[in-house]
Formats: sequence, structure tokens, C-alpha cells
Amino acid sequence: MDLLPNDEQTAIVDAVKEFLAGEAPVDRLRAHGEIGNPDSALWPRLGELGFLGLGIAEDQGGAGLTAAEEVLTFREYGRHLLSPAILALALAARIAAASGLLATPELLAGTMRVGLANRRGPADLRAGTGTFHLIEAQGAELIVAWDEDGAALFRRDDFTIEPVRSTDALVSLERGTLSGAQPLAYLAAKHDSIHDRARLMIAAMAVGTAEGARDMAVDYAKVREQFGKPIGTFQAVKHRCAEMAIRTEAAWSLTAFASLTYALGREDAAFMATSAKIVATDAALKNGASNIQVHGAIGFTSEADAHHYLKRAHLLDQLGGDLRQQRERLLDMPSTL
Amino acid sequence: MDLDFTAEDRQFREEARAWLMANVTHELRPHEGEELREYDLAWQRKQYEGGWAGVSWPVEYGGLGLSLTRQLIWFEEYARAEAPDNHLCFVGLNHAGPTLIAKGTEEQKAYHLPRLLKGETVWCQGFSEPNAGSDLGSLRTKAEIDGDHLVVNGSKIWTSHGHLADFQELLVRTDPDAPKHKGISWVICDMRTPGMDLRPINIMTAPHHQHFVQVFYDDVRIPLSNVVGEINDGWKVAMSTLGFERGTAQIKDQIRYAVLVERMIEEAREKFGGNSPLSKDEIGARLAQLRADMAAARAMTYMVVSRAQAGIQGSEASLMRAMVGEVQQRARRLALDIIGPDALENPEDDDRVFYYLRSYSITIAAGTAEVQRNIIGERVLGLPRG
Repeated sequence: MDLLPNDEQTAIVDAVKEFLAGEAPVDRLRAHGEIGNPDSALWPRLGELGFLGLGIAEDQGGAGLTAAEEVLTFREYGRHLLSPAILALALAARIAAASGLLATPELLAGTMRVGLANRRGPADLRAGTGTFHLIEAQGAELIVAWDEDGAALFRRDDFTIEPVRSTDALVSLERGTLSGAQPLAYLAAKHDSIHDRARLMIAAMAVGTAEGARDMAVDYAKVREQFGKPIGTFQAVKHRCAEMAIRTEAAWSLTAFASLTYALGREDAAFMATSAKIVATDAALKNGASNIQVHGAIGFTSEADAHHYLKRAHLLDQLGGDLRQQRERLLDMPSTL
Repeated sequence: MDLDFTAEDRQFREEARAWLMANVTHELRPHEGEELREYDLAWQRKQYEGGWAGVSWPVEYGGLGLSLTRQLIWFEEYARAEAPDNHLCFVGLNHAGPTLIAKGTEEQKAYHLPRLLKGETVWCQGFSEPNAGSDLGSLRTKAEIDGDHLVVNGSKIWTSHGHLADFQELLVRTDPDAPKHKGISWVICDMRTPGMDLRPINIMTAPHHQHFVQVFYDDVRIPLSNVVGEINDGWKVAMSTLGFERGTAQIKDQIRYAVLVERMIEEAREKFGGNSPLSKDEIGARLAQLRADMAAARAMTYMVVSRAQAGIQGSEASLMRAMVGEVQQRARRLALDIIGPDALENPEDDDRVFYYLRSYSITIAAGTAEVQRNIIGERVLGLPRG
């Protein structure tokens, strides 16, 4: 039993960290402007490095690793506020590979754009009906959707689309309606519980987001002076920062543990994945809010990056069902002790 | 990252589970007095006789000499079996014993460790003083060397079960001129030594519930051979002691509380789940959040153990402790809300209200929630000291 990464996993994390530090520093988002993000240019490069098929079997073109390696990398994506299209790409590659779609190599290479469809009302994926939010789907060829029954790939053209303004202005958001489109591929949850895998990946991104907010707040509390001292000397601020650290420790420990139960196919895997999404998105939301507060007035402006963490946390919370829905699901599960 | 257990580990788990299943008593644990002492020691004795005491303690002192992983497995199964929380043995098994193993002399170890495992002795703590609580380093109970003895004068407070204990792990100031953390020594104090006076302190759980004592020392003579570690090096010895409080034994608590939450969910389902699902009720939402947070507390404890196995030293265990305190209090409070109006009753044969009231100590004992957060802020996050 060990929740720390082994040598091979550390090498993977180091490689992702190095890539993102060079190619996706958080201040890229400010340089880019207030709307959209430049991240789709990163996908072919991440594909080249082999990160897009980490958890996919080797005979299907992936790296043959597990959910544990996936959460380690998605934590880093979250820390850099990477576009959630990375989640769409990873899930689409998985569905495509399992279904033998011709597009699989392009998805693994990151050369095909994929968006996310997140339910905003009743939907039946197999029948190709329902109302969704389309996230990072502008310019995408494919759109991935999932629920408790299964996961599906659609074409963007399958949706009737209506533009809306996104709360998280770094991502593109549209409303999309399906009215009886045949999915390109459909993978039933009983063959592959993609919804729990997605919970883990979203939880990991939320952990990274919460850690990014924590670090930004702590760095500021060390240098910002008032009353002649760094504000981090004051217990009111120090304890707020400590709370942020407690939450990230809880969220990461649980996400790491949950990814291992999932990789082993243990009977508590669904329980732990759901718990992880709850604890991690809760941490991201609260740390996002605390980071703004620690920064004071500048934290409330768009000249600082603080607001990005909060808005991303809200997006991650909604993906695959928000805290309320996750709590309902968790409460309905049998005990796994 | 892995959750691997060897075939031997799995067999150990099976055997532990079977033994616990056959031997755990579900008789309600008395809350105080000699009956409490008898209950806790009898259960410890039973574990020893069954061959399960001191899983990771050295074989030469009566332990099993097994790995940290086996210790973890034992505690997990112990909690799953809902074995009694023999808190009277806590200081001995989790503070004093490990401290002696790390810093004690051969003689100290040979005398005390087997008695602890066999359930023959109860230990208490003598750290806090009326004017040295969170600021423990400012303690003033003094000890002067007189021949081959220390002569102790002063007072200790918040000593849990001091009136039921045989020995005390006692921190005294042996060099008043040294900087405050340098002049302290860690001593074994026999509770029957002449010159000790115990004042009972009742706690808020119910009238006449004695839990603490304040101890007054009036020229109490303790042999120098009872000093553990070097004289004046007691702060370091004590810090290693407090460190144990944040180690593997915590997993027992995490699972015990997770079991409690499962019981609460069953109870709430019966009580509130009639016409609409529990998940639509406010209590249901709080229970679900607790379920997730309990899983997190457990995972955080695995993280602490993982760091310990890797030899990583640091203050990160404070993160787990801070989380656990808050979550456990929240669980006890929610148990009360599930009871409803009858929570105004505090009956002897149902300890839910007792444990709710008792839970207020969780964020005070062994470093208040505020001190934990200072440690996290300064030692984990590197924020400047005030």
C-alpha cells in the first residue's frame, strides 16, 4: 500500500510538468485575452509525447497504463487550467479505440478536435436525444457525451447549436440539442464504466485547480505587506491558507486512492470515484473563493488570474453532474467498508 | 502508487478478522471509574493472550515484530470489527510505549513494554500546565537534581484518566536558564510516588463525569534512572511522542467513524426515508458529504503512512489531523440531528449524546485546531511567523 508515485509515475509527472511549465504557464491566459484559450495547439504535441492514450490498452494504440497515471497527469492539467478539451480528447480516444473507429489514431495523436457535451436536461445517448451544454466544441469535429449507462461519440453536425456567453470565458460554451442522431460509437457502462473514470479525471483536474489557487494565495500572502508586515503573518490569513492546504491534501489523497481502487476493479471503486469528485470539486470551489479573498481588491479584477480558478471550479463541478447530484448518487450506494 | 498486499499480508488480515469476530465484546464500555479501567485492561489482556498485541513492536518486549503494513491491517480490521476503543491504554500504547522503544534504556523497555502489552499498566500524560497549554514549551514545573533523584515541584493539568493511571509521561524543566525548548526533560513518573496530590476535574459530558485530574507535585522524588533520553533533551523526545499520535493508529479512528456514518445512514433511512428518498432531505445531503469526507480522511491517513514508509519527515500529518477533527465533530453533531427532539435526553445506555458532547475535545487535545493551522501555515506552506 503506497499512495506516493513510484519511479515510473514520477517520470511521467515530471515530463508533463516540464512540458506545461514551458508551453502552458497560467499567465498565457492573460496574454491571450479574456476570451478563449490557445490550448488546442498543445494537443498534437501532447499526443506526440504519448499522453493522450495513457490509460488505453497497448494493442489499441495506447500506453497500457491505468487510471492512477491518468489522475497524476490530469492533476497537472488542472493546475495549469488547461482546456477541458483534454478530457474530451482522452475519453473520445478511449471510446474510439474500444469501438475500432477509424479516427482512433488521429485522436491519440491529438490532431482531431473534440468537444464535451454535458447534460443540461433529460437525455438518451443511445437514442441520440437530449439537451446539453457543448464545451470547447467550437471548431471540433467530434463531441463526447457520457452518463451512468454509457458513453457516446457524436459529430458536431448532429447537434442543433445556439451560442451562449460562458461564465468561464476561457472556454467556449454553446447549447446543443440532439433530436435522434445515431452516435458514431457507443460504449455501454457495463463494458467500461467511463462515467467513473471521468469522475476521477475531473476530480484530478479539480485537485490541480485547488492546488493552483492555494499556491497563488500563499505566494501572495508571503509578499503582500500591510500594517508593516506580510499579510501571511496574520492568523486570519494564515489559517485561511491552511484550510486551502487541508482541502487539497484531502482531495488528492482520496483521488489517488480512488484511482487505485478503480484500476484494480475493486468493489468500492464507484463509491470512491464519486467521493473523490465530491471532495475535489468542493476543494476547488472553496479554494477558488479563498484565493480571491486573500488577494483583496485585485483578486476581484480580471487583471489577476484568481477569478479563472473559481470559474474553472464551477465548470468542473457541473461536468458529469454537480455536487448535489454526486451526493445523491453516493448516498444511494451500499456501504463498501 | 499501489494498493498491493502480499499473500502473507492477506492471510494475516483473514486471521485477524477471524480472531476479532470471535473475541470482540460488544458490551457497552463504562464511561468512567475503576470499571472503565477494568474494561479497557481486560480487553488489552485478551488481545495479548490471543497473540495480537503490539503488532509492530519488537519481539523481545512482547510484540509481534511485524511491518507497518501489518500494523495498519490490524487496526483496519480492529475498527471494522467495532472492537472497543480502549482509550485508557492509548497513552501507553501510542505515546509512552513508542517513545520508550525509540529513546528508552534497556531497563526501561524491559520493565514497561511487556506490562503495557499485557494490559497490566495504564499510562497518563503530564504535559500541559495551567499556564502552558498551546504554548507547551513555556512549561514551568521544575525538577532539580539531588543525588540520584530528581525533585519535582509544580503542577500539571488536563491529565486524562490520571486518577486511574499507574505511570505518567512527565515533562519537567531541568534547566531554567536554557532557552525554553532546551531545558526540558522527559521522565517516567510512578503515580504512587509520595508528594503527589490529584484534584479531579469533571467534564461537560454529564454531571460527575470525571475525566481529567490536575496533579500537584510537592518535592516528588523520581529516580534519575527514570529519565528517558538525555536530561534537558525532553522536548525532542516529546515531539517524537506527539508524532506517533499522528501515525498508523489513526486509521482505526477513520474506519470507526466511517462505520458510525454507515450506521447513521441506516438509521436516517428508516426514520426519514418513508415517503421520499433520504437524498432529497437536508440530513441526506449532509450524510452524503460526510461519507465522502470520511473516505477522504481515510485516504489522508494512508498518505501519512505512505510518507512514513518512504522516510519523509515533515509536518504534513497536521493536514490529516486538522481534517479529521472537523469531520469527526461534524459526524457527532449530525448523529444528534438524526435523533431529533430526543437528543435532549442523555441516557446512560445510549452514548450518542455523550459522544457528541465528548467531541468538543477533538479540536483541542494534542494541539488545538488553531495551533494545527499555525503549523500548517508555517511549516507546510512556508508562511512567515507572526
